[in-house]
Amino acid sequence: MQDSIVLAKLDDFLNWGRKNSLWPMTFGLACCAIEMMATGASKYDLERFGCGAFMATPRRADLMIVAGTVSLKMATRIKTLWEQMPGPKYVISMGSCANKGGPYWQHGYHVLKGVDEVVPVDVYVPGCPPRPEALIEGLMTLQRKIARERMARDRWVKHA
Amino acid sequence: MLEIHKKEEKLKSELLTVSMGPQHPATHGVLRVEIKTDSEIVTEAIPHIGYLHRCMEKHAENLDYRAVIPFTDRLDYLAAMNMELTYVLAVEKMLKTEVPIRAEYIRVIVSELQRIASHLMFFGTYAIDLGAFSPFLYVFQDREFILRIFEELSGARLLYNYIWIGGVWNDITDDQIKRIGTFCDTLDESLKKYHTLVGENKIFISRTADVGVINKEMALDFGATGPVLRGAGVKWDLRKNRPYSIYSKLNFDVPVGMGEKGSVGDCWDRYIVRVREMHESIKIVRQCLAGIEAGPIMGKVPKIIKVPKGEIYMRTECARGELGYHLVSDGGKKPYRLKVKSSCFTHVSMLPAVGPGLMIADLVATIGSIDIVLGEIDR
Amino acid sequence: MHNQWAQFINTSVPGANATVVAPVGTTDAATGVTTPGIGDSWITVAADEIHAVCKALKQGEHEFTTLQAISGVDYLAEGQIELCYILASMNKNTELILKTRVPRGDGVKLSKLPSVVSVWSAANFLERECFDMFGVSFLGHPNLKRVLCPDDWTGYPLRKDYVVQEKYLDMVINPPSKMNIQEREFGARHAHIAGATTSVENYSVPAPAKEQ
Repeated sequence: MQDSIVLAKLDDFLNWGRKNSLWPMTFGLACCAIEMMATGASKYDLERFGCGAFMATPRRADLMIVAGTVSLKMATRIKTLWEQMPGPKYVISMGSCANKGGPYWQHGYHVLKGVDEVVPVDVYVPGCPPRPEALIEGLMTLQRKIARERMARDRWVKHA
Repeated sequence: MLEIHKKEEKLKSELLTVSMGPQHPATHGVLRVEIKTDSEIVTEAIPHIGYLHRCMEKHAENLDYRAVIPFTDRLDYLAAMNMELTYVLAVEKMLKTEVPIRAEYIRVIVSELQRIASHLMFFGTYAIDLGAFSPFLYVFQDREFILRIFEELSGARLLYNYIWIGGVWNDITDDQIKRIGTFCDTLDESLKKYHTLVGENKIFISRTADVGVINKEMALDFGATGPVLRGAGVKWDLRKNRPYSIYSKLNFDVPVGMGEKGSVGDCWDRYIVRVREMHESIKIVRQCLAGIEAGPIMGKVPKIIKVPKGEIYMRTECARGELGYHLVSDGGKKPYRLKVKSSCFTHVSMLPAVGPGLMIADLVATIGSIDIVLGEIDR
Repeated sequence: MHNQWAQFINTSVPGANATVVAPVGTTDAATGVTTPGIGDSWITVAADEIHAVCKALKQGEHEFTTLQAISGVDYLAEGQIELCYILASMNKNTELILKTRVPRGDGVKLSKLPSVVSVWSAANFLERECFDMFGVSFLGHPNLKRVLCPDDWTGYPLRKDYVVQEKYLDMVINPPSKMNIQEREFGARHAHIAGATTSVENYSVPAPAKEQ
């Protein structure tokens, strides 16, 4: 009996499950999407980190990787997609464009200066485009963040 | 009249409007296609673009000539080297810059490798569109090798800023030349393997043959270029018909669609044109590797580039079709106007003409075979 | 070659007023040596006849079967917008820049010129893009709507005097918290150096102190 019982806090147990089975949404916007695909493909293999099940619909996903430039025309759609995702949900902002407008910050009349203007962002990954290793690093940061979540305290419970 | 027929007369049918995209795995980015369907048959397909409009042309008007190069990278992010090359050729033609012969060879090597990388990406994503996942994993192995070489050359994996006005930024080493040579041999073999795996597959043929036919008249009317035009049976390739850089010295064929599995200009033809183009590109790279000469890699370029007053329309053959830059200069440090003629833009405008009559799944196959990149369409 | 084309246009479309413009060469005053101009030549035609000219060029002996691009250029000082129709022929392996000018107007009442959609289907999206970016209206276009910017966008972005709107829906386009003020100031201070391209007029940045 001794070996088959593990005692843990409920929070830890839920977080352990959550962080190791993130389902990202198949959602590429621009150049960064290609690096996101490369991260999921043979060499870098995102599956190793429990984050490889790319879902085609927001309703089955709990992680949105905003990979690329967010234009104003697209921003409203991104918000809709985010609202369609079931909680708890997380957003990784990948690349300079999604972080702050990137190279298009100065004269980009049709570029939203950062996706955090429309959806809350958990992890920012810098780079133009970020290397796959950088995206994996961002993902592991998110996993560490999830591991610290407390049900009673965190926003997704309050807003659920 | 039977009772059931009377009931059927009362039933009325109407068109169903389906919006495909902007978030859809088969649209290769943020294209939105408004489809009016009669049961499963598409009666109207209206493309809506602009979801990635990044104001590149406005930026080009506000930056000096060298600073525009990184923005040209981001147009077609799958074929960044080709995008740079065209812009740089346009500026060099205006400046009358002499480019050293070694730089010309390196340019052709990288742009052909880039074409292979881009077509490999097409190969993988097209297989995904049609429901096969493993070819995607195969081709990414080969693509990663090319990206690795580019990374050693330029420091970046995807967007390089490598081809500069007057030459290239970094020299290629003998070791890299040797490695590219061995890579060409392995790629030649593995491409044949991939083609038997995908292209000769019975399901693949029935999904693509006779589907989404773009014939010669339609292609010319819409101004289609590149593999879409060649798939329609028109032997037109700017590298051959209007050689730039050192393409006139090189020996290669221009593959065209011949309707081997169905009719001329169907999805399978566009697929096979791309596969054969990869073999031709390997041929070109091999010739360049054999012919490359020692020497400088950067020509004489003034520190501050001021292009004389005038204008130029420069076009080259990129991975997806002809890319043209209409550069207007007023004699200053910045371009007065830089218009990008994008091939994908014209290809996506063909959808209303190609779409009607197809099934929705066939429309996905057609969009995939046109191989669009939204960065280039929306600019 | 261009002279031949211009002659063809003038004979087939009276009133087109086609003229060849070659790039301006420079003459060195001291030596008297003339260097030819750089770049492409082009043909200018009257704006009202653009449809007839395009039709003649497509169907005539010169076989300009494809329309490559329609590129607008805004000449603010002259108060005109230039439209460059770039045509290409695959049989003859030639290309031609056909130009026409329309008054640019004030951005509210748009200049009109005939559409060439009935000649090439490619013109459909190209003219829509031109309308979107420059505010030129095409008569006889089947569906003249904005193509890149959203339908409810205001202004024509590639005009030289374009000022971006402050808000689109509820999104601020240039939120002050995201603007890199230091870099703008740096750009303003070094505006005399080549490559510094930031213009300060549009933003409220304190004028840089004079260096001692």
